[in-house]
Order: sequence, then structure tokens, then C-alpha cells
Amino acid sequence: MATNFTKSTARNIFFGGSLFFFLLFLALTFDTTQRLPKTDNSAVINPAIAHGKKIWETNNCIGCHTLLGEGAYFAPELGNVYKRRGPDFIKAWIKGQPTGVPGRRQMPQFNLSDEELNDLVEFFKYTSEINTNNWPPNVEG
Amino acid sequence: MINSALKNGPPGDLAIWIFILAEMSVFGVLFAVYAFDRSNQVELFNLSQATLNRVSGFINTLILLTSSYFVVRAVSAIKRNDSSACAKWLIGGMLFGLIFMTVKSFEYYDEFSHGISMDTNDFYMFYIALTFFHFLHVLMGLIIFSFILFKVIRGGYTSTEYHGIETGASFWHMVDLLWIILFPLIYVMH
Amino acid sequence: MQFKSQAVAKPYFIAAIALFIGQIVFGLIMGLQYVKGDFLFPEIPFNVARMVHTNLLIVWILFGFMGAAYYLIPEETQTELWSPKLAITMFWVFLVAGALTILGYLLVPYATLAQLTGNDILATMGREFLEQPLPTKLGIVVVALAFLLNIGMTLLKGRKTSISLILVLGLTGLAVFFLFSFYNPANLVKDKYYWWWVVHLWVEGVWELILGAILAFVLIKVTGVDREVIEKWLYVIITMTLITGIIGTGHHYYWIGTPSYWQVWGSVFSAMEPIPFFMLTVFAFNMVNKRRREHPNKAATLWALGTGVMAFLGAGVWGFLHTLAPVNYYTHGTQITAAHGHMAFYGAYAMVVLTIISYAMPQLRGRAANSNAAQVCEMWAFWLMTIAMVFITLFLTGAGILQTWLQRIATTPMSFMDTQAQLSIFYWLRETAGVVFAVGLITYVVSFFIKGETPAN
Repeated sequence: MATNFTKSTARNIFFGGSLFFFLLFLALTFDTTQRLPKTDNSAVINPAIAHGKKIWETNNCIGCHTLLGEGAYFAPELGNVYKRRGPDFIKAWIKGQPTGVPGRRQMPQFNLSDEELNDLVEFFKYTSEINTNNWPPNVEG
Repeated sequence: MINSALKNGPPGDLAIWIFILAEMSVFGVLFAVYAFDRSNQVELFNLSQATLNRVSGFINTLILLTSSYFVVRAVSAIKRNDSSACAKWLIGGMLFGLIFMTVKSFEYYDEFSHGISMDTNDFYMFYIALTFFHFLHVLMGLIIFSFILFKVIRGGYTSTEYHGIETGASFWHMVDLLWIILFPLIYVMH
Repeated sequence: MQFKSQAVAKPYFIAAIALFIGQIVFGLIMGLQYVKGDFLFPEIPFNVARMVHTNLLIVWILFGFMGAAYYLIPEETQTELWSPKLAITMFWVFLVAGALTILGYLLVPYATLAQLTGNDILATMGREFLEQPLPTKLGIVVVALAFLLNIGMTLLKGRKTSISLILVLGLTGLAVFFLFSFYNPANLVKDKYYWWWVVHLWVEGVWELILGAILAFVLIKVTGVDREVIEKWLYVIITMTLITGIIGTGHHYYWIGTPSYWQVWGSVFSAMEPIPFFMLTVFAFNMVNKRRREHPNKAATLWALGTGVMAFLGAGVWGFLHTLAPVNYYTHGTQITAAHGHMAFYGAYAMVVLTIISYAMPQLRGRAANSNAAQVCEMWAFWLMTIAMVFITLFLTGAGILQTWLQRIATTPMSFMDTQAQLSIFYWLRETAGVVFAVGLITYVVSFFIKGETPAN
């Protein structure tokens, strides 16, 4: 084909195209950020919930579990665990680990105080009320 | 003209044609997803579509076609080695591109001040997303033409070296073509 | 090797392989824990093994990228590295910091590690792949800045080529996007939104620029094809990468509390993300077919071609399988994700690092290529690891399909744990493939020690 194909045009298209799409992404991010309060349930975030998130992080729960489908795939999804199990079960479960059942996947004992457990449960409640466009498909997560 | 096209391949750089192919695929898929989504909510789509300003959309179609025509004249001019005429036609093409963006902005202003957004419903999400994506391509075309215009004015293109102008023109014609599909699809067909 | 300072790449490459070995050891541990859930509990709980596995992966690939840059930038710019001493110092800083971090994960309960390392000052720990304590994260920033300074100064004083510009652009992007790991709001949705600016914009964004540049460099060297041809196609490929991958970030925004329009935008753009990988494969095979020389390093050529194919399969095809929102609704967070993740990471990034090591190590050791015996051994390693990875992926895909069916689609869905019990055959098979992979890796290490007659230059 006699059509020219120059490196400089390819380079210009690369820079122009990438910049274009990056700016578009920033615009969409701006729009998303404006819209988030309608779906992210952030209005309820209080110190207990913020603390609950910190407990979730500092015990690396995501190292075994998923939260809104993201994380490790060793243990159940916990984005909707508040709806699936309720606060009392969650606290009792965490307090009772490890199960010690031979061969069963084991969860460590994290030695959380009652306050920490409550805050973690508040975090799970908050998470379960985020509008995730109807995900997961069912209560099992 | 057709013989030359068959012999020489598409005008402008191959790289822009790869880019054009990619862009048209994206728009094509978006149009297809729109059509699919519409088939599930025909009533809603028709009702929302009826609120669009069709006159404005039609005027914009004529504006872009005119703009493309000016760009074609610009390319002919440089093939005759007439840089000054080329620049004038190019400016005309860019001006009409700017008019398109202005008209579209007024349309958006009207819609947004009535509280319409991508959140309102699926139709408006597609309408805003597709036309805004297209709008940005018009803007990008104008930026590309600014660089080209600069070079034309400096005498950087001749009747034997006008590769860059054809590259930019090809991109612009794609933008025009996309609107010609978009307008009937989103504004009119129901 | 043309320039003395290219030698600093050697320790980086050696560290990369050592850390790769560590990564696989912990991979095998986790694979066993999937079926024998209490294996090594409580000394090494699953989450600890996982963070060691994933962090080692990221760090060995980073060592590989830096080694690649230290090797190829002087050759591309036709000038010595700005500061070999800085490069070696940073090598030790990164290695020691990395080792301490891994030891921290293994020896100290994570919550205690967080307390001891200032997580209360700025809470950045506890997110996937970003488990590093604050000091480690800051250390990474320092190392990255020093690295970019070194490479940047070298680039400024020498010949500028597209390959070196693209490589540096990718590495700069890597450093810039890493900064988002410091942003961790209480708002979980925002947390996740920007977390993907590190992860997606790395592996489906700027890392692809690094991949492309390294592959292009190796292809120029082993095929002798004209630089102009290779470089302009490289620009086209990375253009396709960014114009699909940037908005393609939206395929992570379907179910995390962001607006539903991302389901359309993310699906449409991410569906096209395989295109640059497809082009990369065609590009690599084309260049090798059109080669103007018979380079004695056959192993490096094999790695280069294999990278294209596996990256396309793992990142492109497997990614495509679950990228569309209607599909992803059912497969999100299942073994499908794990299947894709393993083949994608191995195919794109592990293999490109092994490609550059395959090309550069002999040069750093004073020859154009290793002996026939050594290359054959290395090629055995290539096939063992690559075929093993294909099987790992196939088995996890099987597990994922069954999991999706039982847990997500069936009218009476099964619980997570009950579903996992049904998948154990797949996990046993995966672990077996994992052992084969490990054998391949051992073979690979052995190949460095095989002597024999060096082929003529």
C-alpha cells in the first residue's frame, strides 16, 4: 500500500489520544464524584463506622474474604454478611474462631474487644446498604 | 479519483486509519448497546427522545456537513499548491466546527437546567454520553486542525507534501460521519 | 554489553528471580491450604501466605522492570548510566526494605505490625496488594524517584529513542499512580474507586507501555528489523492500550456503589482491551518472520513470542470472558477472576521480565547467548512453566464456572463454603499444575549454571 505510515503521526496520535481519554476519564470521575452521595451511603459514616473500616483493614480481612466482590477468594463475601447473618452471629463467629475443625479452612482469633466488634459490625451494616446495582445476585454472596 | 484511491490506499497516514477504525468500533458498539437497551424499554426511550431538540440537531447536521465540505476544499487547495486558499477553507471548516459546539452547548444548557443528567434514565444516559463523547471528538478535531493550520500558514505544506492535512481531514470526516449516524439514531428514529 | 554501567542490571535480575522463587513457594502453600484448610495454621494463616505471595510478585516484577531499564536505557541512549552508585544503593535499600516487610508479615500479627509502623498516623495498610506498612510505601516512593532521576538524567544526556521515551513514560506513570495508595478514605466506595487507579491503571495501563518498550527492544536486538518499523508499531499498540484501558477502568466500577452508567462505558471500552495484546502478538511474530539476522539467543526469542501469546490469552481472552457487565454480574469475585489474574500476570509481566533477563543476562556475563545446552534447558523451563500455567488457569476456570453456577445462578444457591467443598477436585489439579510450574522454575534457575560451548556470535 502506498499510504504513508509515519512514526511521528503515530506518536502524535498516541499523545493526543491518550490525553483525550485521560481528560474524559477525569470528567467522568468528576461526574461520578458528584453522584456518589446518592449511592454510596456515605451520609451514615460516623466514627464507629470509620473505626470499623480500620479494624477491617488492620486485621487484613480482605486477605481471605471479598468485600463487594473484591479481595481474596478463600472465605465468603462479606459485603452483604450483615443481611445474610445479622450482627449477633457475626460477633459470635469472630469471637469463636478458629473452629479447629480438621481440614476446614481456618480463620484466626483476632482478640477484638467488644467495642471493636461493634464498630466492625457497624461497618458491615454500612457496607450492606451501599447501592451496588443489585450485586450480589443472591444472599450467599 | 477512485483509481487513485485504489492504487494509493486511504488518504492520510495509516496510523490515523487504525485510530479511526478503533473509534468507529467503539461508537459502533455503543450504538449497538443503545439499540439493544432501547428494545427493552421502547416506551421510555420514545418519550424521552421526544423531549430532544430536533431542530437544533438537524441544524448541527447541516453545520458539520458544511464544515466537511470546507475541509474538502482546503485539501483541494493544497493539491493546487495554494496555501493561502487552503488556510482560508480550513478556517471556515474550523469555524463551523466551533458553531456546532456552540449550538450543542446551548442544547445541553437547556437540558441540564431542566434537571436532566446521565442519571435521569437510560435514554438520557446514552444521549448525553454519546453526544458528549462526539462533542469531545469535534473539539479534538479542532485542536488537530489548529496545529495543521499553523503549519499551513507557515508554508509547511505543498502540493507534493500534504500528508498531515489529509490525515486531519480523514479524522474530521469520521467525526462528521459519526454524527450523521448519531443524529437519526438518537434524535429521530422511534 | 556496550556500556559498563549496564552491569548494575545484574543484581536486579538476580533479586527478581530469587523473589520469584519465594513467590512460588508461598503459592504452593496457598494452593494446599485451599484443599487442606488448616495447613500451616496458625503459624502461616492463608491471608499471610497470600500477602507474601502477591507482594513478592509485585516486587520481583519491579526489580525486573528496573533491571530492564538499567540495561536498556544506556544502550538506547548510547551513554553510560548517570549514577551507577545510586542504582546499586537503591538496589540494597529496596531489597532490604522488601525483605523486612516480608519478615514483618510472617513474624508479626498484622494488626501489631500496623501499630508498630505508624499506620495510626496515616492508615494505608490492609488493602489488597497494598498491605505494605507506611514506611515501606514511603520507601517505594523514594526508590522510584531515585530510579526515575537516574534514568531521566541518562536520557537527557543521550540519544532519545521512542523505546526509551515510552519506557520512561510507563515507569513514570507507575510511580505517579502508586501515589494513590496513600489515599484511603473512610468512604468505602471512594476507597475502591481510587484503589483501581493504582491497580488497573498499572496493569491495564502504564505497565503495558513498559511491556511494549521492553519487548520492542528485545525484538530489535534479536531480529535486526529496522527500528523505524518496530517503533511506529509500538506507538500504535500503546495508543490502543490507553484509549481502551483508561475508560476501561470502568469495568471495575460495576458493583461497588458507583453510577450504573459505568456498566456501559466499562463494558464497551474494556471489551476492546484485548486489541493491543492481539497486535503485540501479531507484531512479535511478524518481526521474527521478517528477521534480518539469526541471533544465537533462541531462548530469548522464544520468551518474546511466548509473552505475546500468553499475554493475549491471559489478559486479553480470559479478561474478555468476564469483562462484560451482564457476565461479570455472575462471575465477580469468583475463581474466574483468579484464573484470569494468574495467566494475565504471568503472560504479560512475569514473561516479559524473563524475556529481558533471557536476552540481557548472557550479555552481562560476557557473551551473545548461552551455550546450546543451557538454552535448551532454559527452553524446557519456558515450556514447563507456560504449559503449567495454562493448566492452572484451565482448572481455576473450571472451578469458577462451577462456583458461578452453584453459588450465583442456581435457583437454590449454595453457600460459599459448601460450594468450595464441591470444587476441591479442581483445586487438587491446580496444585499439581502448580508443582509442575515450580519444577519449571527450578529448571529455569538450573539453566543459569549450565556451561557447555558458547555458540558463535
